[in-house]
Amino acid sequence: MLSARNVVKNYGAVQALTEGNLEVNAGEVVALLGANGSGKSTLSKIITGVVAPSRGELSLHGEAVTFVSPYAAKKKGITAVYQELSLVPDMTLAENIFLGHEPSILGQVKRRDMRKNAESLLGLFKEALSNNVTPDTPVSELSPSERQIVEILKALSLQPRMLILDEATASLDSKQVAKLFELVKGWKAQNMALIFVSHRMEEIFRIADRAVVLRNGKTVGNVPIKETSERELVKLMIGDVAAPQRDKTPMSSRGEARLKVGDLKTKTLEGVSLSVQAGELLGLGGLQGQGQEDVLLSLFGAIPASGHINFLGQAVHFKNPRQAMKQGIAYVPGDRGRQGLLMIRSILENLHLPSWLNYGFPIRQSRARKDALQAAQNLSLKMASLDAPVSSLSGGNAQKVVIGKWLLRQPKLLLLNDPTKGVDVGSKAEFYSLLESLQNSGTSIILYSSDDEELLGLCHRVLVLQDGHISAELQADTLTKEHLVAASMGGRT
Amino acid sequence: MNFKQVLRANPYLFALLLLVVFVIMSAALQDNFFRLGVIGGNLRVFLPLMILAVGQTLVIIGGGIDLSLGTMVSLVNAILVTRIGADSSPPEIFLAILVGCGAGMLAGAVNGFCVAWLRLQPIVTTYATSFVFAGLALLILPRPGGALPRELTSLYRSTPLNIPFPVFIIVALLFVWWLLRSSRFGQYLYALGGNPEAAYTTGLAVTRLRFSVYVLSGLFAALAAVALTLGIGSGNPRIGEAMTLDSVVATVIGGTRLSGGQGGVVGTVLGVTILGLIRNIISFANVPTWYQTLVNAVVIVLALAAPGVVSLFRRRRV
Repeated sequence: MLSARNVVKNYGAVQALTEGNLEVNAGEVVALLGANGSGKSTLSKIITGVVAPSRGELSLHGEAVTFVSPYAAKKKGITAVYQELSLVPDMTLAENIFLGHEPSILGQVKRRDMRKNAESLLGLFKEALSNNVTPDTPVSELSPSERQIVEILKALSLQPRMLILDEATASLDSKQVAKLFELVKGWKAQNMALIFVSHRMEEIFRIADRAVVLRNGKTVGNVPIKETSERELVKLMIGDVAAPQRDKTPMSSRGEARLKVGDLKTKTLEGVSLSVQAGELLGLGGLQGQGQEDVLLSLFGAIPASGHINFLGQAVHFKNPRQAMKQGIAYVPGDRGRQGLLMIRSILENLHLPSWLNYGFPIRQSRARKDALQAAQNLSLKMASLDAPVSSLSGGNAQKVVIGKWLLRQPKLLLLNDPTKGVDVGSKAEFYSLLESLQNSGTSIILYSSDDEELLGLCHRVLVLQDGHISAELQADTLTKEHLVAASMGGRT
Repeated sequence: MNFKQVLRANPYLFALLLLVVFVIMSAALQDNFFRLGVIGGNLRVFLPLMILAVGQTLVIIGGGIDLSLGTMVSLVNAILVTRIGADSSPPEIFLAILVGCGAGMLAGAVNGFCVAWLRLQPIVTTYATSFVFAGLALLILPRPGGALPRELTSLYRSTPLNIPFPVFIIVALLFVWWLLRSSRFGQYLYALGGNPEAAYTTGLAVTRLRFSVYVLSGLFAALAAVALTLGIGSGNPRIGEAMTLDSVVATVIGGTRLSGGQGGVVGTVLGVTILGLIRNIISFANVPTWYQTLVNAVVIVLALAAPGVVSLFRRRRV
């Protein structure tokens, strides 16, 4: 149906895509894979007309086409569900779904038709949405996963012949993913073509017919899913480097608790108690949005909370992140672009942002530079120079800077909020070994991750949260995928 | 529906409450406040700002701001009085108004071009162009003066069917708003102000949309100038300057958020009325007029601070 051949995209001197090849047939689900910076998002943006290719050809039903804008691609029946949400928070669900193609006569919007159509679209995801969601609900009142579903419905409302799901499952819970996949099967039967971009291998094997793998801007693999394995795909993605497989770290001996939390309550938490000892890595798991983020933020003093917090043998109550920082607590946010980095400033400045105090006045630049360089080496940061802006780094490397800026302060407790979301396999492996060396030097870590494998592979213990409660504590024998999934879904094992 | 939802659906409720308060205060200070002649007189004074503030509201909903609207009024006022004399014929007058509207739209187009295509900051762009328009107004009409045919000014003062003339204009204004609000253009305007990136990725013609809203606000500025000129019957090259801030204040009082994507014209019309009543009360109470400026400034600061103050209190409460 659609094919892209030898597509090249240059951003100035940087080649984002050197040889992109992709072919999709009607009624087929193609998984598009690649590490961060491999060019897969560039390729999918070219297909949807968001970005114009520098060279190469696109053809639709055998005819050469060029898309000058997302609108042009939409007219040809090609729509994308974006990972970065494209919704307007103050408008209602129905208004958002039909934005740009409202049913109308003489420029006047037919609101009744719009609501009715939105209602029937919502029906598709009925079981996966909370009951109070109606076409008139403002999008600002929806949860992240519900917004993602609205995003999918928005694409569907155009009745596309080709749909691109770009990390569309990243913020959905397993029930919603199951529902989506059920629908995808129906669309396949109706001869819709789908491109599925995801970091979750398990989902790719569940839904895709074929996998196209990109590496360094080049299509390096095009294999039917039935004839390949996870290991093989990872190999294609990262090249000759062996796939990193970490052994499960053994339980540390019971020592004294460095952090003890009792009956922690916030808007979403309904009394959470936990303790962490020196050098321990405690995991927080469960479905998305069950209060994991609130645990981290309230420990960091970023949101108001009640309860007893005992840190380093002292009762503490942090009113703001500054106080928590002074005590040696560091927080790595999930949204690195918004909360973690000054994108246009240099790597040096970003690394030192929390620790300039240590360099006196006027700032001792050469010492700061030396320390930053050392830190960059420890993180094996791939960068042009310390003075390059953070925006020039790839996602994985940018995330290293976020962590690096706290490491320079040598924190006693590190709070990580889904740090590897959207980070490629290679960077993940480096990140894991970084965590290990931190643990060895005695840093306590609390890690929230939406990736179950990661929790299982890294943590000594995992607390599973559900509706603001701890529904299970997994360790040693119970630290298995079966137990984790069962506890997330509310079952007892 | 809980209170929050009601407020979301009708952001002008607060303005309505304020209006009631000030109407009661005005009635207490002024015994003949509810007489038709007095109401008509008040509305004649409020109308130009009302028209102008509608233009401002559209721009602000679309995520921008237009600080040159007041000087556009001066400019069009200057054009009107230099083209219309005390003995002009109806076709001449009609042509002059057309030229005035054209000038307003052209001025808006300049703003729109800078903001939409050159991607300059609206606040800086329109502040800068306001001096251009002010200068042009002074060039066309170096000193106050000019006169309009008596029939024209008496039309503005007329009360057909015993209803003051401005009421018809206000009804027309609200009708135009209703048309706009329920049109696709209206939807796109809210989307543009609410999340411009989303509007772009959804395939809306963002640049054209931005441009057209400034042209539209220029047209409203010109219409405001027509009303103003009919009201005072002469020209003054600096007449509109103070109206810029007033138009922003009225929009904010009316419940339109300065960051865009929310609000509406109904609230703005109420906001202008409230501002006018405050002005009347100040003059009736024999308070120096510069208090008006103070009130305006305080309203803006409060409007900007309100969301922050609210969330500050929320934080405390857990």
